Amino acid sequence: MTSVAGHLNSQDFEGAYKSWNGCSPDALFEAPITTYVENDKKAIATNIETQARYASVLFIWTDCDREGEHIGTEIRETALKGNRRLEVRRARFSNIERAHILSAAQSPIHIDENQANAVAARIELDLRIGASFTRMQTLTLRPLLEAHGMGEEVKVLSYGSCQFPTLGFVVERYFRVKNFVPEAYWSIKVMHLKDDIRVNFTWSRGHLFDRLAAFIIFERCLAARLARVTKVETKPTSKWKPLPLTTVELQKCGSRFLRMDSQRVMKIAEDLYTKGWISYPRTETDQFDEGIDLRSIVQKQVQGHAWGQFAQGLLDGGFNQPRAGRNNDKAHPPIHPVNFVDPPALANDEERRVHEFIVRRFLACCSQDARGSKSTVSIVYGSESFTASGLQVLERNYLDVYPYDKWTSTQQLPEFAVGETFEPTEAFMREGRTSPPGYLTEPDLIALMDANGIGTDATMAEHIAKIKGRQYVSTRPRGRVVHAEGEDGDDVFDEEPPVRGARGRGRGRGARGRGGGDNNSRGNTGADGVQEFIPTTLGVALVQG
Amino acid sequence: MSSANPPLPTPTPNIFAALSAHLASKALCPSQAWLSSFLSTTRPSTPLPALQKTALFRFLATDITTTSQPLPTAVLPANVADGSINERMVRGSVVVQVLDIDDVGRSRWSQVEALEAAERGETNKGREIIRVVPNEDGNTADTTQGAQEKSSGPHKLLLQDAQGLKVYSFELHAVEGIGLSMSIGAKLRLRDVTVARGVVLLEPRSTEVLGGKVEAWDKKWRDGRKDTLKAKAGIRDGD
Repeated sequence: MTSVAGHLNSQDFEGAYKSWNGCSPDALFEAPITTYVENDKKAIATNIETQARYASVLFIWTDCDREGEHIGTEIRETALKGNRRLEVRRARFSNIERAHILSAAQSPIHIDENQANAVAARIELDLRIGASFTRMQTLTLRPLLEAHGMGEEVKVLSYGSCQFPTLGFVVERYFRVKNFVPEAYWSIKVMHLKDDIRVNFTWSRGHLFDRLAAFIIFERCLAARLARVTKVETKPTSKWKPLPLTTVELQKCGSRFLRMDSQRVMKIAEDLYTKGWISYPRTETDQFDEGIDLRSIVQKQVQGHAWGQFAQGLLDGGFNQPRAGRNNDKAHPPIHPVNFVDPPALANDEERRVHEFIVRRFLACCSQDARGSKSTVSIVYGSESFTASGLQVLERNYLDVYPYDKWTSTQQLPEFAVGETFEPTEAFMREGRTSPPGYLTEPDLIALMDANGIGTDATMAEHIAKIKGRQYVSTRPRGRVVHAEGEDGDDVFDEEPPVRGARGRGRGRGARGRGGGDNNSRGNTGADGVQEFIPTTLGVALVQG
Repeated sequence: MSSANPPLPTPTPNIFAALSAHLASKALCPSQAWLSSFLSTTRPSTPLPALQKTALFRFLATDITTTSQPLPTAVLPANVADGSINERMVRGSVVVQVLDIDDVGRSRWSQVEALEAAERGETNKGREIIRVVPNEDGNTADTTQGAQEKSSGPHKLLLQDAQGLKVYSFELHAVEGIGLSMSIGAKLRLRDVTVARGVVLLEPRSTEVLGGKVEAWDKKWRDGRKDTLKAKAGIRDGD
């Protein structure tokens, strides 16, 4: 039984094509390619050849994904060199529990040539496109580099088919922010004081970008004088527990909650895996196979100081089957803790935090959704509808072990009856301005890459690290995010995520109730340290050509 | 059998009357001149129902300020755009044509972005470029901002009646058929419509979209749409 370390073979162009000035970049699309074994893999290849002589069957146990299939063919090719009469079989497995492995061993299949060929095609494309574009853009942009005095330090502007789109996202967002023009909008606010509770009603239209239209509507509301309640409803609501953990999700959460960049998180996760504390951290699967014994994994965490009690609670009846996501790479299960380890026994604080996150995430998956009750009151005022809502969190459930999600009760709404009419205590028009989107943060970038199929879970962090390392982008801390909750919980962004809570500039008349002080968060570079990506001049030049 | 081409029969007053009546049922008032020129383009043997349909279709494609002969009651009052009057009602049926339309529920910047994305081919088909990250609270509901965001409204339209009088209007409650995909030059029939502060309030109860389009205007409008939006938003070109 032996192993390989990733791909055995490497590919490159032959002879004259290898040198930069040996041919024009586009000739590389037709140039011949040789396959060879890289120096650092020679020992592995030799080992396989030798071992093959003493065997009659080769049983391939590489990961059951495309890359694994291709590596299987590389192994086969090498092994057949040592023993032409070798029979080759392949095992299909998706977790490493004993029973599963045994059954995989007993029902071998054949290597899927199609998948292996797909990867071979990918490798060839990457080589041809990568090499030709790298040469082309380096030669083309050399003058620009020299003009910026970077001619010495940057010798090669490499092109990678994943790096480039990654950089592209950063540049695209940069220009969206730069070209953004704030626009004024108007909205109508209604507040009614009842039973000593200030009830804020939100306009169903949200806001309008035409002052005259908003004004006319507002005037008609005032003319109507009375508002009438059209709907009073209390419904149970829940906040879903998280999905089982995938690599991409781990990287995003690592950035967001643990303030660690994706490469660092992956390195730590790999260390935790090699030490046997967590399962294999490179996976796209967000559903647990039915065969896995989750309870025994929970059982192992009962000893934990911070979460032991919660784990015990799960075993005592609170256990719930985790939600199933839509992805299954058929090769690895979601990331979960495997054995118990006492946090102080881990190497450093970063390891502790990542480990804690993984354990808590797993326990949260096995809990129940948080439950609450949402009440809404809708009114008609003039020609317009407005709604007020309140949330009561009744059962925290998974939230107790997963502090990374927030869900809090709001102020309770007073009683209203359908058909009831009242004259609103306050009704006014407020002006605001749209705010630009934020520059991309690492979780944003990972999400974009994931959604557009750039990179795999294994490589996303690398692509991001590369564009940073090659100085195509730089990072800087984002201004402190102020979540102004409470009465005026409406921030208007032009489609952008609520992470950027900075208030729009120039809140006009009617900015009531709140001390002016903490509104303008822009100047405040807080201790948050969420990094945002800005492309460098070089990065922009690469994308724009 | 047949002799040399028989002379074109002059349209009988009956046909004129029948066509006028048909268009009048939609509150449209074609002028005699227009009807004559229309009939001269049709074959005399065409059955009446077909003629009526064609007449309607063609009339809706004209600029009604040049092809109508409206009754005084079928146009907007001269002071309709007076902003000092809180509210008034315009009784009866008035047909207007749409000169301009704006979606006031969305910022102009986001509309420009949507147009540019469509130009780049990022429409809703196939893989969507996802511009928004799922909400922080983890609920990945439909957060994808399709590049072709549908016109969300409400809409503000610039209308013109048969005598050329222009007035702004606003969609108080959504009217089916009104949206950014509507044609410029389309005709609306307003019935007992309310006018507030010089702006006509469009609602389903008072507004009927008759359809039609003035090809030349529509093309010009669509071609210049992005630039108009940019100018309105104050977006300067270039970096």
